[in-house]
Amino acid sequence: MLGKLSANRETSNSGDQPRRLFHKHWQRWLGRRAPAANSVTLNHRKLFVIPSLAGMGFVLVIALLWLLGTNYENNLVFALTFLLVGLFVVLPVHTFANLSGLKLQLVEAEPTFAGDYGQARIRLHKSGKRFHERVRLAWPPEEGQLVDVTEGRDGREIRLDLPLVQRGRVRAPRILVESRFPLGLFRCWSWVDLDVEFLVYPQPKSAGPLPLGASTGDGERELAHTQSGDDFAGLKHYQPGDSLRHVAWKQYAGGRDLYSKEYASGSDARLWLDWDLLAGRDVETRLSNLCAWILDAERAQVPYGLRLPGQTVAPALGSAHKTYLLGLLALFPVQGVRA
Amino acid sequence: MIQGSANPHGHSQLQTLLPRESLLWIFAAQLAVLLPHFAHLPLWLLGAWTVAVYWRLEVYRGRREIPGRLVKLLAVSLAVLGLVLTYRRWFALEPMVALLAVSFTLKNIELVSRRDALLSLMLAYFLAATLFVFEQTIPYALYGMLCVVLITAALAAQQGKGSARPGRALGLSAKLLAQAVPVMLLLFVVMPRLGPLWAVPQNSAKASTGISDSMSPGDFSELSKSDKPALRISFDGPLPPPEQRYWRGLVYTHFDGRRWSEPDLEQYYASWRRGRGRSQGVSGAAESEQTLPAVGPRYRYQVIQEASHSPWLFSLARPHSETEGVSATGDDTLVYRMPVASRLAYDVRSWPRESLARDEPLSAAEERRHLQLPGSGNPEARAWAQARLAEGMGAEQISTALLDLYHRNFTYTLRPPALGRDSVDEFLFSTRQGFCEHFASSYVFTMRAAGVPARVVAGYQGGEWVEQQEYLLVRQYDAHAWAEIWLPGRGWVRVDPTAAVAPERIRDGLQTAAAEEFMQDALLPLHKIALVTRLRLQWDMINYRWYQTVVSFDRERQEGLLTRLLGEVSPLRLALLLGLPVLLALAALLLWLHLSSRGPALPTVSRLYLRFCRRMARAGFARNPGEAPGDYARRIEREVPRLGPMARQITLAYERAAYGDSGSSAAAERQLRRLLRGFWPRRRARPTSVQSV
Repeated sequence: MLGKLSANRETSNSGDQPRRLFHKHWQRWLGRRAPAANSVTLNHRKLFVIPSLAGMGFVLVIALLWLLGTNYENNLVFALTFLLVGLFVVLPVHTFANLSGLKLQLVEAEPTFAGDYGQARIRLHKSGKRFHERVRLAWPPEEGQLVDVTEGRDGREIRLDLPLVQRGRVRAPRILVESRFPLGLFRCWSWVDLDVEFLVYPQPKSAGPLPLGASTGDGERELAHTQSGDDFAGLKHYQPGDSLRHVAWKQYAGGRDLYSKEYASGSDARLWLDWDLLAGRDVETRLSNLCAWILDAERAQVPYGLRLPGQTVAPALGSAHKTYLLGLLALFPVQGVRA
Repeated sequence: MIQGSANPHGHSQLQTLLPRESLLWIFAAQLAVLLPHFAHLPLWLLGAWTVAVYWRLEVYRGRREIPGRLVKLLAVSLAVLGLVLTYRRWFALEPMVALLAVSFTLKNIELVSRRDALLSLMLAYFLAATLFVFEQTIPYALYGMLCVVLITAALAAQQGKGSARPGRALGLSAKLLAQAVPVMLLLFVVMPRLGPLWAVPQNSAKASTGISDSMSPGDFSELSKSDKPALRISFDGPLPPPEQRYWRGLVYTHFDGRRWSEPDLEQYYASWRRGRGRSQGVSGAAESEQTLPAVGPRYRYQVIQEASHSPWLFSLARPHSETEGVSATGDDTLVYRMPVASRLAYDVRSWPRESLARDEPLSAAEERRHLQLPGSGNPEARAWAQARLAEGMGAEQISTALLDLYHRNFTYTLRPPALGRDSVDEFLFSTRQGFCEHFASSYVFTMRAAGVPARVVAGYQGGEWVEQQEYLLVRQYDAHAWAEIWLPGRGWVRVDPTAAVAPERIRDGLQTAAAEEFMQDALLPLHKIALVTRLRLQWDMINYRWYQTVVSFDRERQEGLLTRLLGEVSPLRLALLLGLPVLLALAALLLWLHLSSRGPALPTVSRLYLRFCRRMARAGFARNPGEAPGDYARRIEREVPRLGPMARQITLAYERAAYGDSGSSAAAERQLRRLLRGFWPRRRARPTSVQSV
């Protein structure tokens, strides 16, 4: 339920079994009580209220005042004591009411690079007339954000940061929503699962200059007209040695000769970011290097293609292309394809 | 809290830790709480507080650093030194409060994190409460309330800038406290009063006015300048006539030539402190175990005594009290187990003297005590007494002769001439002008010189009857001294020599007896303005009520009130009394939560349409989220033809009512209502619904 990120953190201290067991049960219980959803309205089923540390201090003051009143048989001191007791009785209601009815909606979890902060855009609305003041949202132990939600219809959008260390699709842990309004003596909180999932790209690690012209390939790639490339250029007669993949089977089935399809690409300056160029490094480093190359190439405005084991994307430019390639890197299987 | 947990030690982050409004709120609350305390706290504390606050504000402005350890240590030692020099005794109320105030003050210079702020405000609550230990009057209660509102507002202001706006913080605080009041009232009535758990230091402030433990010439004329209330006495049953209203406080038996005092008092208190003196009289246990006479008490009354800072209480002769902490002395007076530091109420029954007439003579020790005279001095008075004895007069005749002397030659005045060494002689044979203490002193001296056991009694005489509230208001200027002599077979008999000179003093009070001199030193002769006098009486009445209902609400009254409320005080009924309001409040709260979490109310038409949707849903054909009414109706027609026409009509009526012009929409709404009345779609028979449950 917690997602890969914290699951990995947990395994690092595998010593305390009971704590993990408790944690598991707690999470399961929370999951039943406050199931994951992109839009959550806080209510009595999801909110908890207990006195804060300051509240405990307040209780101590009440106890001391009662002693003062008793020992001096002083009714005004008693009255003050009981007034503070009354305050302590009504406060949790206000603290609870301050969070109850708050609606959280996930707008978007923005993709990011490993080692960076993932940002989730969350919209907060009030569902009733009540304001929600001094609401803190956080992924502990992050500080999170303090917000006052006073607008109704449009609500208020905040960005919540989560440090992400591992690439892949990372399920964010539950979000802590808490408030100590109005006096700080009580703490009301909830663990909200907004079903936030981050797409985390590998951390870019420079692997030197872009591998321009560096080709691992066989001769055919040096031709202007190749059998792989962007644009379909035309047909030529099949010659032995041509890839069977590029045979124009349609035409052949139509009773014509065996043709090979030919593709044209810009020039020889076309850049291939090839998995095999980085042979000898481990999977994650290779992915990190490829990631850095993609960013460099995009910055240099050099069309780039990507070759991964089992997957090839033809060179192109543009942010959509970049995002797509980065996504491929992010979701590349952890163990790699061949060992 | 968030910022607070971030970095409580970094000085550079101070500004983000405790913002300006946070600090200002704390200082405002502190000042409010400390202000009345400065009346009894040493003045240097005010200076220290100001310096600390100034320093902290300078830190905020970035002109100074939070003081280092050395400076803090210096400040603490200075403060401790100040306390030691100011107070010799530690087990007393003032030094304790001063200690609190000092810790408060010193905390200011290291007010860094949110936690410090909260600690400071918690201390402020406590300090506000100690205010009531000193004073329990209405103004103090109101002021204390104000302090609590301020402190709570300061607490709210710690939450952030939005909450720190003065209006917002105060409003929030007032709202929260107002909601707390019902709980307070309930607990006030119901919570048991346990009585002191251990001995606590009492307010040791010297009595500003009041009768002291000794009497020298001039003391009582001093008292006559004060119109502060001393006692308020309400009666259950008959009232004594004005000339019988002698409120006996204490008895002086020892005369040193100038000053009358009661040496045994010290002893009494020494033994009380050791925990043994509770039921013992001043002069041993002579009369402490007296049996109550068969004849019923003549007067039953309750006395509410202002703080006198001395232990003696005031009552008519032959008092008996069952109020806790009150005991009788052998001298026919009442004492409290400790100095009366704040208003005290006690119930007394007094028997007529005659019913306790004693035949047995005074014990030898008692006789010695009541015949004591200094070895020398005042020869003329002694000679006068001896001469009367030589003439063969008895005790009563000598007394009559002496009173006759006063009546013929003496004047009653608030401004008697000063007396020298032989004060009794000078008064009796040369100045012949005096106030009550002169008459009482000279009378007792002379009677003792004649061999008659006699003593001076100090207390109050008279009182002003307050009509509406039905109590007797005795003021400080009613302070009076008179005498008692021992007559064999009759016991102690009251003799008031002042009555022989100025009977109107006893009958009508001082104001009449010394009209010209009365309150002459007062800045404004307010007592001469009728309206002011009436207003003051009104104010006193309110005070009396306040005291009766709130301040003196003790265990007995609590029981009385609970019995009146519940009929009978049983655990079940108490639980009901406590639980019922709690349940009611809870229900009200839930209702409020429910109502306030709902959005603004929908227009009638929409609600009618939603009713239609609900009925359709119950029939197993719910409207999809976001589906337009028209689409919904068409879908119904398509899928459930039997409901189709009705759904179309209702939807049409709804659309006309909601979007049509005002004329047609009213008619459409009526039509919609009519249609809905007859529309109860039955559930579709579905195979899946059969097997459920």
